[in-house]
Amino acid sequence: MYRTFLAWRYLAARRTNVIGIVGIMVGVGALILILSIMTGFLLETKRSLRGTLSDLILEPIHVPDREGRTIPYDPEPALAVVRADPRVAAACAQLTWYGILGQSGRDAALANMRMADAQSGKLSGVKLVGIDVADEFAATNFRAALESTPRFAGSRVADLDDPFAPPPGYAPEGRMLPTCIVGEQLASAWNLRRGSEIEIVTGVPDPLTGDFPVNNRRYVVVGTFRSGENEMDLEKIYFERAELADFLSSERRFSQILVRLHDYARDGKAVRDELSAKLHAAGLVKFADGREVRTWEDFRRSLLGAIENERVLMAIMLSLVVVVAAFTIFAILSMMVTEKRRDIGILSALGATPGGVTSLFLWIAFLDALIGAVLGAVLGVLGALHIDRIERWLSSVLGVQIFNRNVYLFDHIPAVVNPLWVAVIVLGAFACTLLFAAIPAWRAGRLDPLEALRYE
Amino acid sequence: MSEAIVSARGIVKAFQVGDRSLEVLHGVALDVGRGELVGVMGASGAGKSTLIQILGLLEEPTAGEVLFEGRSAWKATVAERARLRNERIGFVFQFYHLLPELTAVENVVLPAMIGRSFGAWRAARPDLVARAEAALARFGLAERLKHRPAQLSGGERQRVAIARALFLDPPLIIADEPTGNLDSATGEKVLDLLLTERESRGLSMVLVTHDERLAARCHRVVTMADGRIAGDARTTTARAAAR
Ligand SMILES: Nc1ncnc2c1ncn2[C@@H]1O[C@H](COP(=O)(O)OP(=O)(O)OP(=O)(O)O)[C@@H](O)[C@H]1O
Ligand SMILES: [Mg+2]
Repeated sequence: MYRTFLAWRYLAARRTNVIGIVGIMVGVGALILILSIMTGFLLETKRSLRGTLSDLILEPIHVPDREGRTIPYDPEPALAVVRADPRVAAACAQLTWYGILGQSGRDAALANMRMADAQSGKLSGVKLVGIDVADEFAATNFRAALESTPRFAGSRVADLDDPFAPPPGYAPEGRMLPTCIVGEQLASAWNLRRGSEIEIVTGVPDPLTGDFPVNNRRYVVVGTFRSGENEMDLEKIYFERAELADFLSSERRFSQILVRLHDYARDGKAVRDELSAKLHAAGLVKFADGREVRTWEDFRRSLLGAIENERVLMAIMLSLVVVVAAFTIFAILSMMVTEKRRDIGILSALGATPGGVTSLFLWIAFLDALIGAVLGAVLGVLGALHIDRIERWLSSVLGVQIFNRNVYLFDHIPAVVNPLWVAVIVLGAFACTLLFAAIPAWRAGRLDPLEALRYE
Repeated sequence: MSEAIVSARGIVKAFQVGDRSLEVLHGVALDVGRGELVGVMGASGAGKSTLIQILGLLEEPTAGEVLFEGRSAWKATVAERARLRNERIGFVFQFYHLLPELTAVENVVLPAMIGRSFGAWRAARPDLVARAEAALARFGLAERLKHRPAQLSGGERQRVAIARALFLDPPLIIADEPTGNLDSATGEKVLDLLLTERESRGLSMVLVTHDERLAARCHRVVTMADGRIAGDARTTTARAAAR
């Protein structure tokens, strides 16, 4: 009994214990807070990494063989195979290519300046995407991207059901221009709005003749989209697939087929493998090894892996804080054992066993760890749950914006508290502290009690 | 005197100092009878403290045997010896040796705490605290119950230490110069208290002292010189008590 009693007394009487407790508290709190935020970022990034990526992506490799034959250039046969699978909810074909964005006529000077500037010049390299509107809406989030309110500049399309219709009130002097929809960040960089005219240059090398003819065409912007994915909003321009194929004047009518499943989590990998086999059997993909059909996670593997890695690295580094805190407990306890030699002698004379003395000091460490870890866990969890408000408050007090919401494209700081992590961290702090404390505690039990009793 | 409460046989004690072994006791034999008050005298460095620490099971003899209530104490387990120190032996030291973080009452009940589990302590607590308070009151410390040792005078501290030593009613008290650190008037009072308690409870006691007058109040005086017992004589007090 005396162990708990004396542990409390020593704890209360020795201010140095507060240092250890605060150390453990800060370590545990910071670890929980930062891991929660990292987890939040990971989930949020995963969500935005996905952007308009579909569950499955089929990218056939259109390389002609010696006789000049390739797998079909038209998407319909492959779409038919894909849609036949009952687990597939929808599928759409996309034609993608690269182009250079510029402006001619009265905007030419501005465009020239923009492209000459090494910083913004890179914004003229764009990805051209040809879509079938109805299929696209069924299979991807593109409709939502068209609907979402522009965050920067830009304007929504006039008619969501017919997004590529010429903008209302558009009355060109000459020929009616074909239409396109641009990502909102690109629109912002180029100061484009509904009705702006742009010119795109592209070329398609011919694998058989070796020619590289270059085309250009003028388009009118009918609106902007905002997917929330930086890369996409910055460099993509959407067209109707037939229009883009015509512009490219290439035989190839599609580059990829995007597939949405009813239950990706359950069926994703199975459908991927089965479709790959079926399509290969039907001669619709070139290789049997499945490299042409991938899940969206296969696509983003390296990025997802990097974020996950970063979280693990962060956890390891922050664990060091807890180790340091546990080490302060070691130092404090060692000091206390030296300081309390006489008390140890007295207790021994009064009938305490060496084991009892050891456990007295372990109790002190246990109480340090208990108070520190519990306070730390509470603070960490509360901090994680209210991080957004805390950040706003701090920003307003300091007058500096800590979290730039424009950079991250999330309008809040995401934090996800995982109870399992919290438990692991708290238990880890306990184990670490008790492990460190065991050394001085063991020494206390082995002290010669008489040594201390001989003198005052 | 009936059978001994503690008896030491052929006690040799050597201390390791550096790489040399320093023999402090060279084969000492001493029996302390039940209810007997034994005074131990001798020049400084004669080995008095070492001997009584061996009798009190605090120090292990290098050779020889200590029988406590007939059983060889150093053949028992660590826990059993701790239990004997807790329940059967009370210590009074020259420098009081109270725990500075505890109040007077808490210091007195500490032996009861050490011997009890959490549940047993909880159940017995009100009773034990009342007993400790009564004991302190009897020693004239009714106004000092909640004081810390630092807030007490030397005499008061020693009285708290005596109350602690007697708290579990041990049959043997070991006192090493209990008044050595007090002025003679205070020492006298404290000692009267200790000896009166001993007398009324009929406890055995081993008392180290340099004071001839005090030694005269013992039943028996053992004189030590250079790690041996040089004399062992019954006093007139003993003869008076026997009569
Ligand atoms: N731990 C120890 N290590 C080495 N020598 C020791 C130790 N303890 C005691 N001694 C030595 O043993 C001898 C006897 O010491 P002890 O304390 O028993 O004497 P004492 O008779 O009690 O003296 P005093 O009247 O001064 O208290 C001394 O010479 C002392 O130096
Ligand atoms: Mg001595």
